[in-house]
Amino acid sequence: MKRCLFVTALMVALLALFPLQAVAQTVIYAAGADPDTLDPANAESNPSEAVNRMIYENLVRFDAQLNLVPGLAERWEQAADGMTWTFFLRQGIKFHDGTPFNAQAVKYFLDRMIGPEKPSRAGLYAPLVESAEVVDDYTVKFHMKAPFAFLLNNIAHSASGIVSPTAHEKMGKDIGRSPVGTGPFKFVNWVHGDQINLTRNDDYWGGKPKLEKIVFKTVREDSARVMMLQSGDAHLAVRIPSEDLPRLEKDPLIKLDSTETLRVLYVGFNNAKKPFDDPRVRQAFNLATDRESIVKHIYQDLALVASNIVAPRTTGYFPMPAIAHDPTKAKQLLAEAGFPNGLKAKFISPQGRYPKDFEMAQALQQQWQQAGIEVTLDTMEWAAYLAATRKPVEEADVELYLLGWAPSSAEARWVLFPNFTTSQWVPQGNNRLFYSNPTFDEHVEKLTRAADIAERDHNLKLAQEIIYQDVPLLPILITKETIGYSSKLKGVINSPLELTYFDHHTELLK
Amino acid sequence: MIRYILKRLAMLIPVLLGVSIISFALLRLVPGDPAVLLAGEDANPDFIEAVRKEYGFDQPLHVQYLRFMGNVLQGDFGISIRSREPVVNLLKQRFIFTLKLSLCAILIASLIGLIAGIISATRQYSIFDNLSMIGALFGISMPIFWLGLLLMLIFGVYLRWLPVGGSGELRHLVLPALAMGAASAAVIARMTRASMLEVIRQDFIRTARANGLRERVVIYKHALKNAMIPVITVFGLEFGYMLGGAVLTETVFSLPGIGRLMVEGIFQRDYAVVQGAMILVATTFVVVNLLTDIAYAFFDPKIRYE
Repeated sequence: MKRCLFVTALMVALLALFPLQAVAQTVIYAAGADPDTLDPANAESNPSEAVNRMIYENLVRFDAQLNLVPGLAERWEQAADGMTWTFFLRQGIKFHDGTPFNAQAVKYFLDRMIGPEKPSRAGLYAPLVESAEVVDDYTVKFHMKAPFAFLLNNIAHSASGIVSPTAHEKMGKDIGRSPVGTGPFKFVNWVHGDQINLTRNDDYWGGKPKLEKIVFKTVREDSARVMMLQSGDAHLAVRIPSEDLPRLEKDPLIKLDSTETLRVLYVGFNNAKKPFDDPRVRQAFNLATDRESIVKHIYQDLALVASNIVAPRTTGYFPMPAIAHDPTKAKQLLAEAGFPNGLKAKFISPQGRYPKDFEMAQALQQQWQQAGIEVTLDTMEWAAYLAATRKPVEEADVELYLLGWAPSSAEARWVLFPNFTTSQWVPQGNNRLFYSNPTFDEHVEKLTRAADIAERDHNLKLAQEIIYQDVPLLPILITKETIGYSSKLKGVINSPLELTYFDHHTELLK
Repeated sequence: MIRYILKRLAMLIPVLLGVSIISFALLRLVPGDPAVLLAGEDANPDFIEAVRKEYGFDQPLHVQYLRFMGNVLQGDFGISIRSREPVVNLLKQRFIFTLKLSLCAILIASLIGLIAGIISATRQYSIFDNLSMIGALFGISMPIFWLGLLLMLIFGVYLRWLPVGGSGELRHLVLPALAMGAASAAVIARMTRASMLEVIRQDFIRTARANGLRERVVIYKHALKNAMIPVITVFGLEFGYMLGGAVLTETVFSLPGIGRLMVEGIFQRDYAVVQGAMILVATTFVVVNLLTDIAYAFFDPKIRYE
């Protein structure tokens, strides 16, 4: 009897620890990593940006094809000299906390971006915009420091989601833990490392969202995400590994969607270090690389061969001729450069940062061998890897490294400027290549300040051609992001910016 | 007894001091900069500088350490650089979860382990003994992530009895607790069997049987209690390890436990989180060991702590 009581008490205690949850009309989204912050101006990771896209909205937004379409601004005008932009705002919109959305809110947003708080994404505005001016309640003007050809792309960037000014005044930097925007979904709570809960914004200006609740769950393990999708424990899973695709394709309850992204995986050279300062040596690596084989055998065609560091879906992309695989010619170039007996070099690659990154590095190591290039291949954990490739030129001992780049503002300047211009050498900027070419710098300057599209595009094309000929890095392939979701879920947005999210049209059929 | 407990608790001080120094030093020896990581690939140098300043990474190391320890003594473990959440809150949330999971796992492990161990010992070399010892061998040898994935596949995807991911309800813990408890169950079963076999052959058991006691009483009252000492040692160790966070189980089942907090903290160079978690885990381990020692006295009155 006593024992019986004890067991019962134990069971009751255990059950009390785990309250049963009511089941609501909820969509469960299985993400690969935990968001870092829900403050758009400080968000640096894709999971953060995906959630932010559902909570916040921008003046101008990207549609599925990355065209710029009206968001919170109905329309806009650029002055002929490119020095002012006027935005005409949609009326009658409120933030989730009841604060009205108006020109003051937009000015508050811009003042924060260019002001002393210096959020991590301040670079989108601080060097470009002088000030914002409230013309009337629903008209706002941006005064530029100099004309800038891609301002609208920066405005459509997820970092430019408009935050409620009252909420930010109250919480300051902690706005990232309790976000307030105007978007179709409102923030409920965040269990760090586990899940974020969103609920629909019944007063959304675009119409009442069809989904009631969204649970954004962190599921690190790839196979666990896939199994959750199969078992129905998740309605959507991102970053599906290619090995699982053939099996999932047979499941009638699951839909798969592979989107070509803006991310190019590349092998960078230390262009300041011998012998990589010799273009013939870099060209030899280029010709020794068999991109077709990597895409076909390692990625099972879930990637595209690249010849340009700018990906095709990027605004301002110009196609470059395919790069031949020619180990004989590569050997010849090496001999001309003074290495008739081949070359030895050090190559580093991350492991697991990008899909199949290390496998690709191993394949490259073998391919280069055929041209007489012997590389040692090492891997490092990501933080150490970033540190190793961010050393200033006099300390940098890295020779070849594998990385990926995707312009988060979806335009080619954000590839060319940070990675290749002389002013951007690490640690000041992101030019880890230590590449420097005055003609190229000039083209980038011109395209940045171009007042009309024709001039901008002319310089974009020339800049991309220079990179193609100079080979400061080897573009290898363009990645694809595969998501899987329940066939009952309609209207999922899988953006080429590697962001998957829902809007007010997304619905879950019974 | 009380004096003994106090003495043992006092030993926590040097242990924690050591843990704090080692974790602090190791984290800073590893290459990688938290501010750079936070800024991402397209980093902005102004932002990196601002972050370093805000979290005091621009100070000399000994200043950083002293400031950290000073705050810890006041119960302040700092703020996570990643989530800006106070570390104390994160530790509390995660530890409660790990505690729930470990309790379920150790419950499963001891139930299976003790029953299998006792039956194997009383029916040595029977078919049950052989089968359960083969099972124990599997339990010890199977990598936990593989067992976890297998359980998910069978019970989650094929049979659809239990959820494969998520947390919050008891049913979410069944599979992870099974995966986590399997290895411990195996160790406990083997230990119980060995210890029981030794005790059963002793004189007092023969005397008890000669006195005409029922076999059930002989085994469960006299033999088992005396065979428990080594089992408790194992039990305490296993439970201590579980509370230290089961990184693999937590990752496979996407559970918000202390192990994953620690590992992700390491990858993100979230110094405050890792240091706080190390101190918490070390404290729990010492306390669990102390409780184990106290349990010895309960099972064997010959043991006295004076």
